[in-house]
Amino acid sequence: MSTITISNLRKLYGGVPAVDGFSLEIPESTVFGLLGPNGAGKTTTFKCMLDLARPSGGEIRYDGKPLVPETFERMAYVPERSVLYDWMTVNEHVEMTRRAFASFDPARAVELLGQFNVDPRKRARALSKGMRTAVMIAIAFARNATLLILDEPTSGLDPVNQRHVLSLMINEAAKGNSVIFSSHQIGQVERAAERIAVMDRGRLVLEGLVDDLKADRKIVEGIFPDVTFTLDGIANDARVARADRTERIVRLLVTAGADEIAARLSGAGAVGVRVLDLNLEDIFLYAVAPATATTDVVVKES
Amino acid sequence: MPAVLTVDPRSGVPIYLQIIEQIKRSIALGILQAGEQLPTVKQLAIDLTVNPNTVARAYRELERERVIETSPGRGSFVRANGVTEMPKIAADIGRDALDVALREAKSVGLMREDVRELFEVVLERWFPTVER
Repeated sequence: MSTITISNLRKLYGGVPAVDGFSLEIPESTVFGLLGPNGAGKTTTFKCMLDLARPSGGEIRYDGKPLVPETFERMAYVPERSVLYDWMTVNEHVEMTRRAFASFDPARAVELLGQFNVDPRKRARALSKGMRTAVMIAIAFARNATLLILDEPTSGLDPVNQRHVLSLMINEAAKGNSVIFSSHQIGQVERAAERIAVMDRGRLVLEGLVDDLKADRKIVEGIFPDVTFTLDGIANDARVARADRTERIVRLLVTAGADEIAARLSGAGAVGVRVLDLNLEDIFLYAVAPATATTDVVVKES
Repeated sequence: MPAVLTVDPRSGVPIYLQIIEQIKRSIALGILQAGEQLPTVKQLAIDLTVNPNTVARAYRELERERVIETSPGRGSFVRANGVTEMPKIAADIGRDALDVALREAKSVGLMREDVRELFEVVLERWFPTVER
């Protein structure tokens, strides 16, 4: 596919910003996870990428060029909410897609529907939420698209089908295509995504390779012999993103150099110094939680 | 390739490091032999349901460490000396495990001599002195 460059994207709804100066570069041939709390602006960003919503400011480019119809033909989108027509059968949706997109492979769609155990003769209104998701997934993955944009692509699916969707995504990446998806199921993002971005209140708050974020971001914890200790300026280190202090215990969220900061904490008199790994859920929560969200006293030193 | 290769994506340990560790472990245990072919990046990615670029990163690192070699069009193989260096790989795994254990001992305030005594006890449990 192509490198996608989102520059200073803004989208206002009734004067209220849904996306508020969001910039991001998504490399080609990857699985990219977009994370964020409800209302962070993920769906709006997807709609702007697909030209389904007109940005209030900023721009989105594909290999340096604005979205053109030929690029659009190579993109498949699974929206968060069902866009199936209640009165139409699944087969009729497949037929409708065949007429709209030259590269669509109806036989592949039927094969995928079978893998999800969807009866294609059923009308959409007779399908459960999960089955509707499965129909949209099957049609999108049969589009032979080089870029798939999937908004909560596993919602309503059982664990077996959720894993199947992840396998389909991995398969696309193995073919050199790109998949961009959002999910509140962080475990899925952690498994399938190579790279993630975290959005909060319309802005980018964190971005990187999942493996690098895990390798770099750690909690360094130290216990001091008594409550009268000073951190000796450690909390001012640029690599310390956050410092929480509860009586004798100090917990530092570091973005790099955990071992070195642990050694400095020992040097300041802490015992029981530990470096703790963070999984993606921890990393996400620290990225979106305001510092005051914990009961701990924040001691970013002056 | 051993079917035992698994990753825990929910761990704080990067997935590519988990893959590296397990391939080394398989070599140290003789599950993977000299010259044996590894699955393609694509195949392993599909088997583990993880991103192909993540698998590719693990393979690149193993090549850099001269554990495996990749020839274009043929695939990736365990290097012959990747196996003659089996004791070294085993030693690496052992050293890493001890590193974690001793860091933990230090973090709870044990002193050098305490650790040496404890080490003798644990050593005796796993590597008992042969009775004469």
